[in-house]
Amino acid sequence: MTSQSDDLIRNIEGTVKGLGGEVQSSTKDAITVKLPVERLIEAVRAVTERYGLSHLSTMTGLDSGDNVEVLYHFWKGDVIASLRISVPKSITHAPSIVEAVPGAILYEMEVHDMFGVVFDGNPWMDRKLLLPDNYPSDLPPPLLKGTKSSDIRKAVGVER
Amino acid sequence: MTEPKETRKEAGAGLIQYSTENLVPFGPIHPALKEPEYFKLYLRGETIVDVIPRIGYVHRGLEKAAEQRRWTQNTYMFERTCGICSFAHSLAYVQAVEGLTSYEIPQRALYIRLIVAELERIHSHLLWVGLLGHWAGFDTLFMWVWRDREIVLDLVEAVAGNRVHKSLATIAGVKKDIPDNMKGKILERTKHLADRAYFYKGIVDTETTLLARTRKVGILKAETAQKLCAVGPLVRAAGLARDVRADDPYAAYGDVPIDVVTRGDGDVFSLLHVRLDEIVTAANCIDYALAHMPSGPIRLKIPPNIPVGEYATHIEAPRGELFYFVKSNGTAIPERVKARTPTLANLPTALELLKGHTMADVPVVLTAIDPCFGCMDRLSFVDLDTRNQWSWTGEELRQYGIKRYFPERKT
Repeated sequence: MTSQSDDLIRNIEGTVKGLGGEVQSSTKDAITVKLPVERLIEAVRAVTERYGLSHLSTMTGLDSGDNVEVLYHFWKGDVIASLRISVPKSITHAPSIVEAVPGAILYEMEVHDMFGVVFDGNPWMDRKLLLPDNYPSDLPPPLLKGTKSSDIRKAVGVER
Repeated sequence: MTEPKETRKEAGAGLIQYSTENLVPFGPIHPALKEPEYFKLYLRGETIVDVIPRIGYVHRGLEKAAEQRRWTQNTYMFERTCGICSFAHSLAYVQAVEGLTSYEIPQRALYIRLIVAELERIHSHLLWVGLLGHWAGFDTLFMWVWRDREIVLDLVEAVAGNRVHKSLATIAGVKKDIPDNMKGKILERTKHLADRAYFYKGIVDTETTLLARTRKVGILKAETAQKLCAVGPLVRAAGLARDVRADDPYAAYGDVPIDVVTRGDGDVFSLLHVRLDEIVTAANCIDYALAHMPSGPIRLKIPPNIPVGEYATHIEAPRGELFYFVKSNGTAIPERVKARTPTLANLPTALELLKGHTMADVPVVLTAIDPCFGCMDRLSFVDLDTRNQWSWTGEELRQYGIKRYFPERKT
C-alpha cells in the first residue's frame, strides 16, 4: 500500500475527529466514519476539496431500526472513504450535498425514493426517480425493513 | 417522417416559463436506449435547453429481494442485473462478500476472473461500436462489428458454457477452469479481434458519416466529468486517467500490466477511439494472463454464514465503475446489498451533454454513454410555440438525424 493512501486516511481521521465525528473502521485502503448530520457538508467539502476525493461513487441507505443511515462513498486511487450520517425515522431530513458534489443529485433521489429521507436543498426532491407513479403515499418506502415485499407487489398491482 | 399528429391546447400548460421553448418527451419506450427510460427534453427551436430524467421502468427491486435470499443465491440474481456485463455484476458481488471474510482466494481463480472480465469488455465495446454505427447512419459498420462480436461470444461460451449469463463467479473462487488446450484458441481469436479493432480505427478516422456525426458532438470536459462523478470510457475520453483496474487493482489486475487509454477531446469520436483501443488492451491483458496463470485449485468450499460486517468494493465494468456495498448480520442471508451501476453514475453527465445539441444528435449522444436501461420504441414531442404534440418512432428520429446531416442521401 502506498504511503500516499496512508496519509490520506490519517488526514481524513484527523478532520473527522475535529468535526466531532467518530472513526468506525479504518484499514489500509478503506475508512468509515460517522458524522453528526449538521457537520456533513463541512466534512464533504474537506474530503472532496482538501483531500481530492472528488468522485462520489454512490450513496447507500441502511435501515438500522429507529434510524436511517446514509453512507457517502468517496473514491480516489485505492482508497474508498465512507462518511455515515444517521437520521431518525421520525425526522427523515438531511442536508443535500448537491452544491458541493453536483453528481450526487440522482443518488439523493434514489435514497429518497427507497428510504424516504428528504435531502433539503436538492432541486429534484419533489420528483420520483425509480418508484412507480402509483406507489401509494401511505405505504412506507420500499427498502425499509418493515415494508413487506408482498405489500409492495399488492400496492403497485403486480400481486400474483 | 411523420407530421404532427395531434394538436393539444393544454400541452405544457404548467410550463409557462418555457413559453418560447418546446417540450419533447423522449421514451420511455425508444430503441436508441436498450431499456425503458424517459427523458423530457425542453427545446428552444431545435436546440435542447433542459433535460429531465425519469427512470425505474425496469426496476425489479433486486436489493429488496436480496434481503430474502441466501448469499450464494444472490450471486445468480445479481448476475441477472444486466445481460451485457453479467459477469461484472457477479464478480463485484462476490468480491464484496469475500471482503467480509478472510479467505485467501486461489490465485488461479483470480486470473480466470480477469480473463472472463476482459472477454466481456471486448464483447461490450464491440456491441457499442456497432450500435453507434447504426445510430449515426452507418449500418455497414454495425453489421461488420456485430459479426465480429459473434467470435467473442463463441469464446465466452467455450469458457463458461453460456453466451450471456456466464455463471462463473462464485463466492471464494470460480466454477469452471480454463483448460490448457483452450488457451491457443482464446489467444488466436482475441488477437484477431485486436486486429479488427485496428481496422475499425482506420474506418473511424476516414469515414465521412462517422466523422460528421461524432466529431465535436457531445463534448465532455474533464472538469464536468469530475464534477458530475462520471465513470468509465466516458471520463477517459475526456482525458481523466480513471480506471479501477489500474487505480485500485482487484482480481489479478495487480499482476497484469494494464494500459489506461485516454483521449483529450471528450467527444463521441474520442469515445470511439477509447473503446476500440480498450479492445486491444483487453486482448493484451488476456494474452499476458493466459501465459502467467498459475496452476492450482480454482475455488474454496466455504460455510454459508458470512461474518458480521460491512464492505464496499468496486470494479471496472465495461461501462465504468460498478460499485457494490454489502452488510452482513452473521447469518446466511444478507442484511443489505447495494449495487450502483455505471449508467446511473453517467446519467447526470448525459443530461448535461445533451444541452446545446439538436434533436438529431439525441440518439448518438445518449448512445455515447452506453446506456443500459431496456428497449424503447416511441417518443413524443410537444411544441410549446404552436402547442403541437406529435410522435416519432425511434427509426423516424434516426432517419431525421441522418437527413439533417446528409440531406442529399436517400434513406
